Amino acid sequence: MSSIRKFLNNSDINRFRFYFQLSAFILLVYGGYLAINIGEQLPTFACVFDDKRGGSCYLLGFQHQMASPYARLFSGAGIGVLIGLLTFVGFFIIFNKAWCGFACPLGAIQDWLTMLRCKMGIYYSSYSEPVFKRLSTIKYILLALLILIPMGIGNSFFGLPTLNHDFGVPFCMICPGRTLLPLFNGDFSQLAIDFSSKTKMVFSGLGLGITGMFLAGAFAKKRFFCLFCPMSALHYIFSRASLLRLTKDGEKCTRCGNCYRVCDVGIRAIADDLEHKNIVKDDCMMCLKCVSACPEDGCLKASFLGMPVYESTAEGFFRRRLKEDD
Amino acid sequence: MIESERQARVRKSTSLHLAMEAAETLRQITEFPDNPESMAYFYDIYQSRFKDGMILPQNGKKLVGTMCLQVPDELIVAAGAVPVRLCSGAYAFDQAGGDFMPAKSCPLVRATMGMLQVNNDTMKDNLSTIVIPTTCDQKRSSVEMLRNMDYPVTVLEMPASKESDEARTYWQESVKQFALSIQKTCGRKITAKALNAAVRTKLEAGKLFRSLQQLRTESHPVILGKDIWLVSNSYFFDDPDQWCKAVGKLIAELDSRKSAGFSAINRKAPRLLFTGSPPIFPNLKLPILVEQAGGLVVADETCSSERLLHDAVVFDEKNLNDMVPAIADRYLKPCTCPCLTPNTDRAKKILEMVRSNRVEGVVYQAFSGCLPYEMEQRGISDMLSREGVPMLFVETDYSPEDQGQLSTRVEAFIESIKVRKRKKQ
Repeated sequence: MSSIRKFLNNSDINRFRFYFQLSAFILLVYGGYLAINIGEQLPTFACVFDDKRGGSCYLLGFQHQMASPYARLFSGAGIGVLIGLLTFVGFFIIFNKAWCGFACPLGAIQDWLTMLRCKMGIYYSSYSEPVFKRLSTIKYILLALLILIPMGIGNSFFGLPTLNHDFGVPFCMICPGRTLLPLFNGDFSQLAIDFSSKTKMVFSGLGLGITGMFLAGAFAKKRFFCLFCPMSALHYIFSRASLLRLTKDGEKCTRCGNCYRVCDVGIRAIADDLEHKNIVKDDCMMCLKCVSACPEDGCLKASFLGMPVYESTAEGFFRRRLKEDD
Repeated sequence: MIESERQARVRKSTSLHLAMEAAETLRQITEFPDNPESMAYFYDIYQSRFKDGMILPQNGKKLVGTMCLQVPDELIVAAGAVPVRLCSGAYAFDQAGGDFMPAKSCPLVRATMGMLQVNNDTMKDNLSTIVIPTTCDQKRSSVEMLRNMDYPVTVLEMPASKESDEARTYWQESVKQFALSIQKTCGRKITAKALNAAVRTKLEAGKLFRSLQQLRTESHPVILGKDIWLVSNSYFFDDPDQWCKAVGKLIAELDSRKSAGFSAINRKAPRLLFTGSPPIFPNLKLPILVEQAGGLVVADETCSSERLLHDAVVFDEKNLNDMVPAIADRYLKPCTCPCLTPNTDRAKKILEMVRSNRVEGVVYQAFSGCLPYEMEQRGISDMLSREGVPMLFVETDYSPEDQGQLSTRVEAFIESIKVRKRKKQ
């Protein structure tokens, strides 16, 4: 047991993650070819607009359900909504935010763009902590909107007229997953602007603009889109209940900041918070780079059902850092 | 003419005193029984370095003097030069510095300044520059004095705090400017490859130092603290690759000692943590006294040993734009120097060290004149007494005069820990 643990702690999580992400990408984007469907309520961007997908993103179905009138939502049909949500939570709590770091196809695309940038020797852009904090709230606004806008279709708010069905899946319309993931199966149709109605025109135009920003942003800044991701916001609501946990022992922390240094989403608390044990923040994607960059024994720890699966050790740290260039 | 003759005489007598002082410290260190064989490397380098004045390393490369561990020496190495930490622990130089430094200044700064004054004509030509970070007041103020002695000085601006983003960015920028200036001084451009190699070497050293620390704190102690000071102090000036090789050998010997069940000192010897103003060879007066009195220093929190090598640089992208700020971070964020405010990290670190090394008492050294450490003493002492860990506070300097009085205090302290231990059992 202790030798397995040592093997895990000495391992290079970045390399493992690269291959895992690649496999997850193939599964989620091309799984349909092998008639694989791992679920309809996945807590990750397995885009429904990609018809060869190996599973489906929860947000599309969720937005559809939210468009029902209140009367239906709170009748027997509500059970369906609830089951959908529970399935989503069920998937989510197994891996927590590691869905973002290890499975999300959009996350993988962003990481590949980062690799490309590194290969080209271009430096990332950085911004200060306060700006970062402010940007962070956008994803909650998007989450609220993707619930409220569909609700406005089936119900009238304050006696206002209801929205038409073109507002049906507002987030999908602006999500770069819709435009980019079908491309991997040779489907370019989502790159068109839909002129069938004004609403659709605006949404599909916005979607293309955001796709451009997604690509440019992710190239300049690691995991740029994740800062605005409403899925990540939805995750965070259930994160505390998860079986996979990332914890920190503040007593062992020297605040050397190595973890913050390597954090793709710039979570400062990982280095400076000495009080809280649970260190998963809303932007965290549980890539566990922080654990691999921590040189203190047992300071940062990923555990599943209380069993440590990846723990910071001085031995593993030096092994990884000194091996990397050979 | 008269002045230069006087200077030559002073240098000669200082060198003589220095050699005697070094020999005396080495004698005391080697007098302990069961010294590891591989420590011979370290005994020898001190012997040769101090036998004739102050010998700077010479291997045809440019030398860059540093006056604090806050100087990112990876950058100096990457620029093709050899960093030498000048902080001196010599009483002979302290006395020489006394000629022109305030009586109440810190002996470390006084000795360093004394050394640079006495050896002015040779060192001025040998050192491409002296890097002084703006840490404590006295080091800051020595910038002008050294310039007046015609030394080339590089000021490395350091913030007085490390908490805010502004301070951290300022320091990163400061280190970047330092990198630019040092490559001009050394006449070689810093490349990502060279810098990576320098970082790796220091990582290797850090890894070895941690292993040594592990061995030092075993419940069967296989090495005494007095030897550790020699090992870590020699990183100030030794060639890092040679140093790593020698330490690797020492670790191998200690490992075999460990598996043979050997104990370098009585297993019941009180386990002590040493903190405060840095012991630097030949001024190992207090650490040696502590172990002569039957204590064992199992860990230290000082800038001449643990802080020098414990922390490690981590960068995410192998290009200079990410590496240089990463190096800057390593020198500021985990720093527990009392010139920083707030400095709660130091108290926290001491507490963690006390717990993880099963420490039974703390020895706190403050050089008279080293206000930052003197002022933090009270806070640390209060914290430790709440934890039930006794602390001995010693205010001292480089002179050997208080040795007798100190040894009485140290013995009483160690005896009291032993009594406590017996009562507990």
